Amino acid sequence: MATTPVTATGMPSRRAARVERRRRLGPLGVLTHLALVIWTLLVMIPIVWTFLASVKSEDEIFGDAWSLPAALRWDNFARAWEQAHIGQYMINSVIVVSFSTFGTMLVGSMAAYVLARYPFRGNRAIYLLFVSGLAFPFFLALTPLFFVVQNMGNVPVVGQFIGLNTYAGTVLVYIAYSMPFTVFFLAAFFRTLPTAVGEAAMVDGASHTRVFFQIMLPMAKPGIISITIFNILGQWNQYQIPLILLQERDKWVLTQGIADISTAAGYDADWAALFAALTLAILPMIVVYTVFQRQIQSGLTAGALK
Amino acid sequence: MPHTPHISRRDLLRAAALVPAAGALAACATPASQPPATSSAAPAATSAANPFGVADGKPLEVWIFDGGFGQQYATDIHQPLFKSKYPNVEVKHNSTKEITKVLQPRFAGGNPPEVIDNSGANAMDFGALAQDGQLQDLTALLDAPSWDDPNVKVRDTIDQSVIDIGTYDGKFSVLGYVNYIHGIWYSQKVFTDNGWEVPKTWDAFLALCETIKKSGKMAPFTYAGKHPQYLYEPLLTMAAKIGGNEVLVAVDNLEDGAWTAEPMKAAAERWAEVGAKYLMQGTAGLDHVQTQTAQNKYQVAMLPCGSWLENEQKTTTPDDFAYAMFPIPDVTGSDAMPYGTLHTQPGENFIVSAKSAHPQAGMEYLRGMLSKKAAGDFSELVTTVTVVKGASEGREISPGVTSASQAVAAAGDNTVYYRAFAWYGPLNDEAKAATGELMSGGLTPQAYLERMQKKADEIKNDSSIKKYTR
Amino acid sequence: MTLEPRRGVSLYQRYRRGLFITAFLAAPVTLYLIYVISPNLQAFYIAMTDWRGVTATPAFIGLDNFQRLLGDSVFWKAVTHNVALLVLLPVVTIVIALFFAFLLNLGGRQGVSGIRGSTFYRVVFFFPQVLAVTIVAVLFQQVFRPDGSGMLNGPLMALGLEPVGFLSDPDVAFWSVLGVLVWQAVGFYVVLFSAGLAGIPRDMFEAAQIDGANRITLFFRVTLPLLWDTVQVAWVYLGILAMDVFAIVWVMTDQQGGPDWSTTVMAAEIYRNAFEYFRFGYASALGVVMFLFTVGFAILSLRLSRRERIEY
Repeated sequence: MATTPVTATGMPSRRAARVERRRRLGPLGVLTHLALVIWTLLVMIPIVWTFLASVKSEDEIFGDAWSLPAALRWDNFARAWEQAHIGQYMINSVIVVSFSTFGTMLVGSMAAYVLARYPFRGNRAIYLLFVSGLAFPFFLALTPLFFVVQNMGNVPVVGQFIGLNTYAGTVLVYIAYSMPFTVFFLAAFFRTLPTAVGEAAMVDGASHTRVFFQIMLPMAKPGIISITIFNILGQWNQYQIPLILLQERDKWVLTQGIADISTAAGYDADWAALFAALTLAILPMIVVYTVFQRQIQSGLTAGALK
Repeated sequence: MPHTPHISRRDLLRAAALVPAAGALAACATPASQPPATSSAAPAATSAANPFGVADGKPLEVWIFDGGFGQQYATDIHQPLFKSKYPNVEVKHNSTKEITKVLQPRFAGGNPPEVIDNSGANAMDFGALAQDGQLQDLTALLDAPSWDDPNVKVRDTIDQSVIDIGTYDGKFSVLGYVNYIHGIWYSQKVFTDNGWEVPKTWDAFLALCETIKKSGKMAPFTYAGKHPQYLYEPLLTMAAKIGGNEVLVAVDNLEDGAWTAEPMKAAAERWAEVGAKYLMQGTAGLDHVQTQTAQNKYQVAMLPCGSWLENEQKTTTPDDFAYAMFPIPDVTGSDAMPYGTLHTQPGENFIVSAKSAHPQAGMEYLRGMLSKKAAGDFSELVTTVTVVKGASEGREISPGVTSASQAVAAAGDNTVYYRAFAWYGPLNDEAKAATGELMSGGLTPQAYLERMQKKADEIKNDSSIKKYTR
Repeated sequence: MTLEPRRGVSLYQRYRRGLFITAFLAAPVTLYLIYVISPNLQAFYIAMTDWRGVTATPAFIGLDNFQRLLGDSVFWKAVTHNVALLVLLPVVTIVIALFFAFLLNLGGRQGVSGIRGSTFYRVVFFFPQVLAVTIVAVLFQQVFRPDGSGMLNGPLMALGLEPVGFLSDPDVAFWSVLGVLVWQAVGFYVVLFSAGLAGIPRDMFEAAQIDGANRITLFFRVTLPLLWDTVQVAWVYLGILAMDVFAIVWVMTDQQGGPDWSTTVMAAEIYRNAFEYFRFGYASALGVVMFLFTVGFAILSLRLSRRERIEY
């Protein structure tokens, strides 16, 4: 987007000026690339080094840091997947994040839409209530949140599904903590959309709900995509919330699992499996990101540049 | 992206003022409305065979610290034994390396599991658990008939020190299952091959370090630098050896000047010297497994550890390594305690949660663990010594266990222990932080002890922390 | 611009509108009040109790916890670390990111176009951002290993140099933490600033260059002023990040905030007191202090950013 070449208007004098400028600005090219290449290496080397270590044997990992593996030990991955339960953790992460992102987008866009387009007494107060969440440090709420979720577990009938150590309980908390940014961003987005189409549909007898789902939501697609990506990333990377809410090992999400394997390596000395686990956690994210990088980048920066 | 309206930061702050208005709506979720912790259900009928009244069909949840001893002993020895007697009680087995992280919230939440092996670097704070009434009083277990012989009480089958150390507020509540024997560990093969001898005096120890260093074959000494509790152990044991057991009693009781006493100073100076001269390169950043593995790879000669070491390292130890340990050498020539003085302490601390659903089954599970068969199988499986008297008799034992057992026999009554770090979590964390600094030269011995004394005084003067004495 | 009830609409339609608003707001507002607002409010009350997490009725002890925390040297160490991060993390990250954004967008031929391969660089620079913080923490634990198997110390020792205790030397560990935070953050801000730069008309740069500006003056006289709004946004974001640092410290550093408390931060002390020492009341008091710092930071950034935009 930023690389659009300047369209030359073809004026000879301008061309000459350019040559002059190039002379003045010329030799930076090499240095520029050097700086960029250095940072590229800084970013890539630790990641590549991890990939490399994931196919090394225990001895090789404890040996020279930069040696190449003598043989590719794919069994490290088998151990990481099965014994270290990376597979299970990844599935848990996918379950929690898909439901929570979907839920966040559903209720978040509903709230944002109403707050953006329907003036009523208290509208501003509710909006600000949501947005104020951006200012709370999560750690203030940490302890009471634990007990709130625990108490939710005592609610009749549904309690068993939304208490501690439940996916649904965790999903609800994820949704709640994603509200401030989601509402903030989407409300802003809905305000920019034209009203004519929706009004016309209302005149034709469409309900408010129908206008929202069939007209406004599709129109808001770019904003929805941006914020969905934002939420997926944020919730996938969440560590503190599951750390206190999901304590049973079979419910753990990937971030907890990785942190645990890192501790566990201290006892089992299975460092190879740790690196394999890290690779399994990193690779999908890199691949998904690279495929969708354009949308992700524009989505994230659009959110940040409000 | 389209130009979207934005909220000013001023709005954010204004919004913060509105927050309390929402409070009334949310009152339903306060922790104060938490129900009283589910008190243990009334026990089922008791009998000589079922002394605590284990309820048939009511599950039992067990959490094992998956550390030096692994967890196989629980699934292969203890749980089958329990199941053989209570086939209808489902045993839910779990394990973790991070007891605190996983279980503390369960306690806070009032639904703790029945049996917990609360051990390892990340074990829960016993003091806090006791203060909160979370620990089941195990006196009934002591007075129950032993699993093997109805005429012998459990109390008489275990070492008295287990009862002393496991007592909080006059109630026996923590069962140390394994007899941890601390010392300086080395490879007999390495010592024999090089003609090195076990040092009996501190000067001999330093001379040995010098010899090893000069030999260029390996580093003389290391410890788990990431977990400096591995080093404050020999430091405190040495202080007790120099000044007598009362040095440690004073530390435990948070007495004024306990840390700055002369024997503590002598010990801190000795270890600081080792830290300055003889540590393996990189020690400060390595953990116990990394340093222990380095020893197995003959990169370092000696390290301080407990008798779980041999089992913990069994996959990386060369067959002819032959683990052995020696006690803290004589330091001053006029030490208050004789050569051979040992720090032994029941470890692998099992507790039963008072507020769990089925504490009776938890106690019964411990009673089974204390049977001769269970304890004997255990010591054979994980090559260690349990607190059950005579359980290792007639069992095959490893070189490390042999060495540790001999050390215990030689020590006789000259054994010491400390408890302050189990009672006061913040003291433990400060000791870890400060000891690491002492060893890397960041703190002088004097500054180190003053800092520890300051922390001890802080805890002593903090009315919110419950105090214990011994 | 909004769907206002028009004059003359029937009562039924008003009713339907009200119903719709209520229905759409019910779920989000309820969730938010239960899980976000109520815990935050409760924290203020718990901070004034001696609650250890299990007693049904914690004793009210007024401001004792706050008095106690005044003398808590570890916590104040944590505060200084947060403050240091609050200054250093934004400064270092923004400087690096601005530099790269500038190179990527204007570093190409003639100083006004993007450099060749800029898309590639932007993609790669962004990689750390998509990795979970815990994963980054574990990864760098290995990178920083103190022996010859560490990614950084391996080559150092091969060259015969002393290994650096990246995480084990209390004088170095904090910088390692800062380094990892910067490593992870830069990519996002490169992309952010690139987007900001893309919004600046090319002509501005051309004009400046025709006036004889070289790259450096171009950057300071044209680029930076035009990007100033974006830089402020970045500063607020990074400031929040600096206040909330937890996982990197908790997972990566020795003794979770060590060695010798050299890397601990407020969030880690809150977590430690609550979930390791069972001092929930005290931990909440620490949380309140952290809240005050965050609000203080918000007010500060409000004051410092002179140009308020127009409110809607």
